Amino acid sequence: MAKYPPITLRVPASLLYRDVAVRSITAVCHLIGGKATDRSSDSLDLQRTFDGEFVSAFSEIFNNIAIHAYGGSDEGEISLTMTPSSDQLLVEITDTGSTFDIDSVPPPPVDDLPEGGMGIHIARACLDELKYEPGPPNVWRLTKSFPKNEEQEE
Amino acid sequence: MALTFSTSEESTDLVLTMAGQLDALSAPDILTTIDGLIEKKHMMIVVDMADVDLIDSSGVAVLVALYKRSRSIGGKMKVRGAKDQPLAIFKLMNMKKVFQIA
Repeated sequence: MAKYPPITLRVPASLLYRDVAVRSITAVCHLIGGKATDRSSDSLDLQRTFDGEFVSAFSEIFNNIAIHAYGGSDEGEISLTMTPSSDQLLVEITDTGSTFDIDSVPPPPVDDLPEGGMGIHIARACLDELKYEPGPPNVWRLTKSFPKNEEQEE
Repeated sequence: MALTFSTSEESTDLVLTMAGQLDALSAPDILTTIDGLIEKKHMMIVVDMADVDLIDSSGVAVLVALYKRSRSIGGKMKVRGAKDQPLAIFKLMNMKKVFQIA
């Protein structure tokens, strides 16, 4: 079973630097389960979906920290610790901005199409688990397991 | 990567071609152009996302706004060319129930 050391990254808390973190997250996603060496179309689809959903969740949390915790001031820092294993990725995101009341997020609208306020719901839907501990420092924990393809399930 | 966008016409359709990241950073810019697009009164707006590599909830909100405004004048909207992360988001949010995704 592949085991990797935690990988850390610190970036300024500005949306301008989100892409730097996203590229790191994407590269770490490719370590999960060694899927990068399996080029079958099913595995590539699983990899693309895993990458896309994890990056989506991460982007929403990064936005939340930069825009809300730090008030869009472009000051402060966001720290990431990425811990990949053979079939799971855990990313801890730490900030020292304002705390966030995750329980105050209203449920997603059922009938009307929303034009905002969907970030936390998207993050939750993309992950197996999303945890938040108010600080300081505030800590977000994003966890997602790599899905097994049909051959692995047999 | 910043978002760039342009418009063109294909037959009677208006094509909005985007490249880069449709996100919280770029959404305000493109939102200001939406009303101008709707004023052209095309019955079909095609959003070409082949070169969009990331969309977040703010970007999805832009598409929802464009869809709603198009619908308000009796028009339709479809998205084409989406792949990787944007396609994963559309599948997750079941956006094909809202607008056509080709």
